[in-house]
Amino acid sequence: MNPMANTTSSDVGPLIEVMDVSVEYQMAEDRVGTIKEFAVQALKRQRTLKRFEAVKDVSFTVRRGETLALIGPNGAGKTTLMKVVARVLPPTRGRVIVRGNLAPMIALGAGFNPEVSAYDNIILFGTLLGRDPEYMRERVPIIAEWAGLTEFIQTPVRNYSSGMTARLGFAVAADVDPDVMVVDEVLSVGDQVFQKKSFERMQSLMSGGTAVLLVSHALDQVEKMADRVIWLDHGSVVMSGDPETVVNAYKASVQ
Amino acid sequence: MTVTLPVYDSDQGRTPLVTEFRNLWKHRGLVRLLVGRDLTVRYKRSVLGVWWTLLNPLLLTGVLYLVFGVAFGSGRFGNVGDPYILYLLSGVLMITFFSQGLLATGAAITNASSILSKVYVPSEVFAFSTAFAALANFVLSLIPMFIVQGIVDVTDGLDGSWFHWTLILVPIPVVAMLALITGGGMIIAAAAVFFYDVMDLMGVVVQLLYYLSPVFYDVDFVGGTDSFFGQAIQANPLFSYLEMFRAFAYRGDIPPGWQWLMVLGSGAALLTLGVWVFSKAWRALVAQL
Repeated sequence: MNPMANTTSSDVGPLIEVMDVSVEYQMAEDRVGTIKEFAVQALKRQRTLKRFEAVKDVSFTVRRGETLALIGPNGAGKTTLMKVVARVLPPTRGRVIVRGNLAPMIALGAGFNPEVSAYDNIILFGTLLGRDPEYMRERVPIIAEWAGLTEFIQTPVRNYSSGMTARLGFAVAADVDPDVMVVDEVLSVGDQVFQKKSFERMQSLMSGGTAVLLVSHALDQVEKMADRVIWLDHGSVVMSGDPETVVNAYKASVQ
Repeated sequence: MTVTLPVYDSDQGRTPLVTEFRNLWKHRGLVRLLVGRDLTVRYKRSVLGVWWTLLNPLLLTGVLYLVFGVAFGSGRFGNVGDPYILYLLSGVLMITFFSQGLLATGAAITNASSILSKVYVPSEVFAFSTAFAALANFVLSLIPMFIVQGIVDVTDGLDGSWFHWTLILVPIPVVAMLALITGGGMIIAAAAVFFYDVMDLMGVVVQLLYYLSPVFYDVDFVGGTDSFFGQAIQANPLFSYLEMFRAFAYRGDIPPGWQWLMVLGSGAALLTLGVWVFSKAWRALVAQL
């Protein structure tokens, strides 16, 4: 169980396989929040379910060393799809297969407890990501150093600025060489110096054996980093293919 | 070097009970961290810190002693043979373990929703950890109880000691209680994801169970074992938990068979049911977070 093991062996096929995936949510205004409301609606026989399809029949694969970017307007289903791949949301229909260790870079710092020190948070967050606590204990100095937060290591995270928290989150998530990485708008973390540093780290992971699923609104970044791009709108794939073509078509549609 | 990659397949379902306990074992490192965090963070901002864990039951017992032991007349409520202070303290510890453990485990999933919607961790791990944290709190609070027991032992004019070999059996009702709150808590935790008011409702239910349990009164106070109320009180499984704990902790008795059945039966049944319900609700529950 070495989290550092980056298996470059074997032809296991694509690391991410998304097959005809649909995700449905119950409409927010329709959602019953309390037992009382549930009882009232049941008595009135009003319990109609309005459902909202956030993702409709989307399929794609990402191979080892490949970077796939999802673009599209807000509410297109990018983040939902990302959560499905990151395993935190089961698809309503269809099937997802993800092979290998996964590093989710979604809302970095969400797993932190503000009351405890950065030291404890590094260990806790790393363990939440499936790493061994003992291993995390060894990695603390390296991670803190990398995030440039060594002198604040004993400070409770509630005293951190949002930039510092995000830096710490990125440093923990990017500390291993994962097989699969899902990245949601984290390339704008921290100040200029740290942005450059995190960008370089991402690129070294991407050029390594990691399969990356990326969500970004920074279209020129997408063009530079991605091997393929999928343009989503209202949950469906509008277009998919090489970055230049898709990004240009998307840009044209927006203007 | 062949390293088998972990594979996530969304089509793979759960095997109720097997998946959950396997996940618990697999994530035991995380469970240990979460329990430790629970114990240290709870009183992080208070001056006394962890000492509150030890002090709280003593203070509560003090209040009950003043009300029912002194103001309303000593000995009217408690078991005739027991020192009232021990009767109270042991009851308070067990019922606090139950109510705090049940409510905390019930809130565990909704409290962790910000993590669970971003990082994949089997959600039951948070429920298990919270129940274990309640156990750790309970075990810590046994220290002041044994101190009080020692004081009673020295100052009590009665001949008998209040320490017996049965102390080694104390883990039996305690582990059963852990099973009870884990199972019950997991049902509540699953329901709380769908309905906001479940926790408010449970607060009232727990309060009711507190008064239906022999914490500050005993069965003679409600009319004896054969009376209607006596029967009703004994039908509450918590009655047997409290009585078995007292029997082992300081009376040096072996409780009757029906109490064993109540304690072990309800613990095993609720744990099985709770984990099973959680397993069945899991997919819908995760989608709702």
